[in-house]
Amino acid sequence: MKGHGRIIEYALSTLARRKFKNFSVAAVFSVLIAVLSSILFLMHAYKTETLKLLDNSPEIILQNMSGGRHELIPTEYIGTLSGIAGVGQITPRYWGYYYDSLTSANYTLMAFDETMRDVKPIDGRMPAADGECAVGRGVADLRQVGIKDDIFLTLGTEQNVNLKIVGTFTANSAILTNDLVVLTKADLIKFFNMPADKATDITIEVNNPAEVSMVARKIRRTFPDSRPILKNELLRTYDNIFNWRGGIVLIMFFGAIAAFMIFVWDKATGINAEERQEIGILKAIGWETSDVLQLKFWEGVVVSLSSFLTGLILAYMHVFYFHAQFLAPVLKGWSVLFPKFEPMPYIDIYQIFVLFFLTVVPYVAACVVPSWKAAISDPDSVMR
Amino acid sequence: MDAVIRTEGVSKVFNAGLAGEIRAVSGVSIEILRGQITVLKGPSGSGKTTLLGLIGCMSRPTEGKIFVEGKDVAKLPERFLTTVRRKTFGFIFQHFNLIRGLTVRENVMLPLYPTEIDGKQMERRMEEILEKLELTAKRGVNVGKLSGGQQQRVAIARAMINEPAVILADEPTAHLDTKLSEDFLNIVTALNMDGKTIVIATHDPLIYDKPYIDHVIEMRDGAVREAARL
Repeated sequence: MKGHGRIIEYALSTLARRKFKNFSVAAVFSVLIAVLSSILFLMHAYKTETLKLLDNSPEIILQNMSGGRHELIPTEYIGTLSGIAGVGQITPRYWGYYYDSLTSANYTLMAFDETMRDVKPIDGRMPAADGECAVGRGVADLRQVGIKDDIFLTLGTEQNVNLKIVGTFTANSAILTNDLVVLTKADLIKFFNMPADKATDITIEVNNPAEVSMVARKIRRTFPDSRPILKNELLRTYDNIFNWRGGIVLIMFFGAIAAFMIFVWDKATGINAEERQEIGILKAIGWETSDVLQLKFWEGVVVSLSSFLTGLILAYMHVFYFHAQFLAPVLKGWSVLFPKFEPMPYIDIYQIFVLFFLTVVPYVAACVVPSWKAAISDPDSVMR
Repeated sequence: MDAVIRTEGVSKVFNAGLAGEIRAVSGVSIEILRGQITVLKGPSGSGKTTLLGLIGCMSRPTEGKIFVEGKDVAKLPERFLTTVRRKTFGFIFQHFNLIRGLTVRENVMLPLYPTEIDGKQMERRMEEILEKLELTAKRGVNVGKLSGGQQQRVAIARAMINEPAVILADEPTAHLDTKLSEDFLNIVTALNMDGKTIVIATHDPLIYDKPYIDHVIEMRDGAVREAARL
C-alpha cells in the first residue's frame, strides 16, 4: 500500500510538472463534459418535470374536430359519454389563449375545475368567486403583480375583465403553469364570449387503466368528428419532443465530441519522446512494468475524473443555478414566458454513468495503452 | 573472490534478420569479481554500453548466458528481471537521466517509490547518502538548476539508494571536466571501499589508467580484445 500511495503521489507531481499541457487537456475535457452534461441534465429535468406533471392529467381528453381543426365541443356529449362502459368522471374544460399586447406574451386562460385539483398554488388559493384568479409565476413576473393585485385582460373590444389575484403557482409546476391564468368558469365564458352549451374540450377518466384504448375506440365510434387524446400519447409526444431537441443540440456539438475523440486517439497512438525517456528511466532504476502502468493509470484518472467532475459541477450550476441560459432557448421552445423557467434538479444517474464510460474510460485507456507499449520494451534505450 | 557477474558467450544482435542488422556484442565471456572496480574500455561503437546493459539486466542477450549472483538471468521473465535489477544494481548513466522538474530529494528516492519500504526509512537513507555526497543543502533544489557535477552526484545518490551490490556507470566522465572527473573517481573509490562492486564503461584514460582499477576489459567490434587483472 505504501508503494501504491507513493506512485499516486508521483503521478500528481508528474501532472504538475506538465501543468500547461495537462491543464489544457483538463480544460477542454471539462468544457466538453459541461456541454454534454448540460444537455443531458436539462433534457432530463424537462422530461421528468413534464412527465411528472402530466401524470396527473386525465386519461382521455376529448376534442371536437371540424375541417381538421380543433373546435368547441358540445356539452351535450357528456350524457352519451357517461353511458359508455368503463367511463368514469367526465369534466368539461373551458380554456383559451390570450395574447397580452402589454407584455407581448401569450397566456393560457383556464376555468377552474376538478381536473386542476392537483395543481396547487404556492401562495394563496384557487379562484372561488367571479373576479378572482390565480396566475403562473411567469405571468406574475411579466406583469409585476402578486397576490391581492389586480390584473386587467382585454381583447380590445367590450370583452374586458379585471381580476383580483388570489394565488400564484409553485415553481415546481412552472413548466405547465408558467403562462397560466386560472379564473372562474363564468368569467372565462364571458371573456371569450363562448356559447353556453359548449366547452373547449372534455376530460374523461377511465375506471380501469387497461381499458383506456378500448374506451377511446368506443368514443371515436360514437362521435366520429371527435379526437380522443390519450395520456400515454401525450407522454410519448413530450418524450419524443425533448429527445428530438436534445438530439439536435447533441449533433450541433458533434464537432466538439469528434475533436475530443481525435485528441484521445492521438494520445492512444503514441507518447512523446520525453515521456518515453522517463518510462525508460523508471524501468532502468527498478520500476516494474506494472508500476509504470499504475503511474499512467493514475495520471489518466486524475485528469479525466477531475475534468469529469468539474464538467458535471459546471453543468449543474449552468442548468440549475443559472437556468441553462446558454441552452434553454434552443431546448425549451418558443414561448416568451419560458426564459424565466427554472428547471428543478432531476438527474439521471444512468446517463451520468454512460457519459463516464464514454469519456473517462477511453481517456484512461488512451493514457495507459501507449505507455504499456513503451514499458514492456527493454529499458536500455535510455542508455542510448 | 567470487564472481558477482559472469557471462558465457553472450551476444546481442539488433534488428536480427533485417537489412540493418547490427551485432553489437559477440560471444563475450567475462567475470566481474565481487568488491572490485572493473573497467570496460574501448572506442565508441565497441559494444561496451550494450554489454553494460546486458549485465545490468536492462536487456536480454540474443545468445549466451548471464549469471548474476550465480543465477542465470538471461531468460528470466520481465518481472523477475526487474527485481534483480532493483536489488542488485545501481545505474549511473552517461547523460545522468535525472527526471527534470523534480527536486534532488525526489530524484534520489524515485527507485524506492514502488517498494514497501517505510517512508521514514527512505528519508533516513536518502539523508545519509546526500550527506556523503555533499548534497544535503541541495535536497529541495530542482535538478535542472544544478551544475553538471552536482547532477552527476545526484545520479550517484540515486544509484545508491537501493543499497545495491553492484554499481554500473556508463561513460560517467564524458560530460565532466578533469576536476569533476577526479571528484567522481574519489566517490567511486569510496563506494568501492564500502564493499561495492563497480563496473565502468569508458573510453576516458583518466579512469582506466588509475592504479586502483582492479580489472580492465578492452573491447573492440563487440568482442573482448584483451582482459587484464591489475
